Amino acid sequence: MSEIVVRRLPAGFGSSASAADRKAGQRLARKFLAVDDGARPQAFWKETGKRFLENKVGVGATLFILLLAGAALIAPWIAPHDPLTGVATDRLQAPFSSGAHILGTDEQGRDLLSRIMYGGRLTLIAAFVPTIAATVIGTAIGITATMMGGWVQTVLMRGMDMLYAFPAVLLAIAVSASLGPSLANALIATSIVSVPPVARVAESATRRVVTKEYVEAAKLSGASPVKVATSQIIPNVLNDIVVYASGLVGVSMLIAASLSFLGLGALPPAPEWGFMLNSMRNSISIAMFNVMLPGFMIFLTSVCFNLASDALREATDSRL
Amino acid sequence: MTAESVAEVAARKDDGKVLLELLNISKQFDVKHDGKKAKLSAVDGVSFAVRRGSTVGVVGESGCGKSTLARVITGLHPATDGEMLFNNKQLKGRRGKDVAKAMQMVFQDPHSALNPRATIGESIGFPLKVQGVPKTEIAERVARVIADVGLPAAYSSHYPHQLSGGQRQRVNIARALVVQPDLVVLDEAVSALDKSIQAQVLNLLSDLQDAYGLTYVFISHDLNVVEYVSDEIVVMYLGQVVEHSPANALYERPLHPYSQVLLSSIPNLDPTKSRRDERPDELDGEIPSPINPPSGCRFRTRCPFARDVCAEEAPERVEAEPHHFVACHLYTGKFDAQQPTAV
Amino acid sequence: MVRLTVRRLLYSIPILIGVSVICFLLMNVLPGNAAAGLINDQMTEKEKYAAEQSMGLHDPLPVRYWSWLTKILSGDMGFSQQRHRDVAELLGQAWVNTFILAIVSAVVGVVAGMLLGYYAGTRRGRWADKVVSIFSLAGLSIPSFFLGIVLLSIFAGEMRLFPAGGAEFGVGIGPAIRSLVLPVATGSLVTAGITARVMRASMVDVMAADFIETLRAKGLSEWEVRKHAVRNAVAPVLTTSGVQLGYLLGGAVVVETIFRWPGMGTLTYNAIASRDLPVIQGSMLIVAFAFVLINLIVDIVQAAIDPRVRGTLL
Repeated sequence: MSEIVVRRLPAGFGSSASAADRKAGQRLARKFLAVDDGARPQAFWKETGKRFLENKVGVGATLFILLLAGAALIAPWIAPHDPLTGVATDRLQAPFSSGAHILGTDEQGRDLLSRIMYGGRLTLIAAFVPTIAATVIGTAIGITATMMGGWVQTVLMRGMDMLYAFPAVLLAIAVSASLGPSLANALIATSIVSVPPVARVAESATRRVVTKEYVEAAKLSGASPVKVATSQIIPNVLNDIVVYASGLVGVSMLIAASLSFLGLGALPPAPEWGFMLNSMRNSISIAMFNVMLPGFMIFLTSVCFNLASDALREATDSRL
Repeated sequence: MTAESVAEVAARKDDGKVLLELLNISKQFDVKHDGKKAKLSAVDGVSFAVRRGSTVGVVGESGCGKSTLARVITGLHPATDGEMLFNNKQLKGRRGKDVAKAMQMVFQDPHSALNPRATIGESIGFPLKVQGVPKTEIAERVARVIADVGLPAAYSSHYPHQLSGGQRQRVNIARALVVQPDLVVLDEAVSALDKSIQAQVLNLLSDLQDAYGLTYVFISHDLNVVEYVSDEIVVMYLGQVVEHSPANALYERPLHPYSQVLLSSIPNLDPTKSRRDERPDELDGEIPSPINPPSGCRFRTRCPFARDVCAEEAPERVEAEPHHFVACHLYTGKFDAQQPTAV
Repeated sequence: MVRLTVRRLLYSIPILIGVSVICFLLMNVLPGNAAAGLINDQMTEKEKYAAEQSMGLHDPLPVRYWSWLTKILSGDMGFSQQRHRDVAELLGQAWVNTFILAIVSAVVGVVAGMLLGYYAGTRRGRWADKVVSIFSLAGLSIPSFFLGIVLLSIFAGEMRLFPAGGAEFGVGIGPAIRSLVLPVATGSLVTAGITARVMRASMVDVMAADFIETLRAKGLSEWEVRKHAVRNAVAPVLTTSGVQLGYLLGGAVVVETIFRWPGMGTLTYNAIASRDLPVIQGSMLIVAFAFVLINLIVDIVQAAIDPRVRGTLL
């Protein structure tokens, strides 16, 4: 049996230059043809952060939110009055009318400025807690569904479709009403309502990533599916999910405000802005500004959340 | 393939020379075609052996099942039928980490083969992390393999988008080699690169094969590239092996009609060997769909020599010359003195 | 196309079943909820348990679901303890009003939004575009209850242009429309804002496409070019319209309460206050079913208009 001739590439294949010349050429190539001059590694979030900071509107909106958060945090120290007690005879004082109550009082004589500040806490909690919960749960569902495929994917995504079949506010109302009015239940209801859209975003982002060859390469290295998910898939879908979640913050806040307007949120006398609006609205003809104040705060905060989210989306847009 | 059992084959080949053996490997996919469920036969009855230290080239046009074969070999897709022997042990079910260590793959698209969110160093070191290698050793081995593929050490902290295509492919090769495998499957590893870069990378692969004692399965549609790197060549058409021979034998004397057409289309830069004035052979028609492949010999619908027997019986593999196997009725002796029929 | 429609219809069935299961679970899983009418604090534990059992509350869940489902399908939606009426009867009068309000708001909002979005999309970067963007942002961010109260106080309170509430049907077209204006304005402003955003983005995308250049090169007038652009741009708007209509139906609870509109929303609001769960459940079922139906219609219409969507329908 004749041996199979083993062929090798001839030395200097691709060039007729000597070895010394080739080495010199390689050195020059590395020096002049480097892709990045300076060639410092660039991380993604730093890039995104820089672009975000260039967007003045977004920065302004974020600053306002931070201001609100700050005020809410140190409210116990800077609020002029106790937000929960009021003198009935002081009710519905107009703003800027008396020195004691800068922004006026509500229908039970409680200081509005203090109530707004304390209410800010509830608002921010209602904005962020359900968003974070829904993001974690929704991402897990979406990634698991796509990676496992088959009936697991069908069951999970159909389940999401079924929740999606309810208008968000209505589902939140139903869940809250069923569980009973309280802040915790309102947060749970808002989280449940926010999970399906996050799961959808996670699922479609994962679908785009999971066919990429670097995922196959990771599997080839012997990594378990969980390790593949955490090391390869999550870092690459995080972008889409974070952008979507940032939009969810404003929506979450509005849903929670609606719930508290309807009396399904924290129980009185908690200074929830939505509830305040409802309890004062019958007095609108005599104290318009007082009634408008909590509503306007909700509006303003919602606008800022949306502006910040838009700015974030633009900042991440052309990066890969 | 004769009806030897897997164990018999394993026993016969136990001279330590064969690293990987495929026995009648088939891979089918369930697809929806025209609203009905159908089976797509991507790989059908593929058998060949890969000897340690050699390079087996697998060549064929797009859609012939080469990439699917690559994934079946490396275990990313389980085979629907057939057996595989690696190091004389049968590969069954889910593969262990030791097989992952010994068999690696370099992918075609240098861009999508690297995690855009990980640094080069992290991407290369990932297989070692999975194997449980301690961190200090990982750093050392990654640095060594980066140098081996000709990249500056500083690139370790860069991101894929900062590198050129050729550089990224070197990174892919580095990642495949960092676990010190025995077998590397290269699926169109240079196809996405510019010609001048291709030459550099092929050179690199050859050097690495010598340095590390690697065995390559080199898959490509580009005949020039395959000729230069391969010791043996397997020609595939529509999921089946139609010819298998040493490289020089194939180029001097292609036996299967399909190989003949493929080879006639290679442009040749050597003026003495130029066949510019000859008309290249042409194939009629389009490649048939693998969902409903032609009966008998799958190539018969485009073959100028096809006869009735080609539609009735699939040709079995015969050794037409020493070490030169071909699956074609021209060599099985089943041809009568019939006129060729237009199929 | 027919096969696609049938497939889409069939797909809705498991969704509807799922919706009914979710409704059932929400309203009936806690025994205290459904039995609230029969039980009072003077009963002993045993008597309470016996009362609950007589209502079938301690049967296994699937059994309870099935009996609940069959009752619903035969028109029995339960009994409202607080109002002493059948839920079906209460809702039967109210849902028409709610749907009228929701559909009118949706139509006005979508049409206005499309016009604004078209206007902004074709004048990209200029003053008009910026104004529309601000308007969209406001519409998107404003809570509908706040907007309703503002409109009410300004137009009905200060200016006395429109009634402060109630639906005046049966008296004549004039009063009917007048009573619709403010509630519709509330709902449609939000819808218009969101629709304008979608339409603007879609118009910008389409106007930048190559085929627009081709049309211009062929000599079509700018107006005709834009007509073609609009036809291509409306697809995403159609999708959001369905969602918006659902949003309006859900938000009806709030809007109807503010304007004292006699619809399901007001019923639900009062039911929340009095913990009247059968009423909440009834309106939730109706709205959810309607929403599924609306999405079904939107999907089919979209597939009929735009062939590109057909492959991705399921």
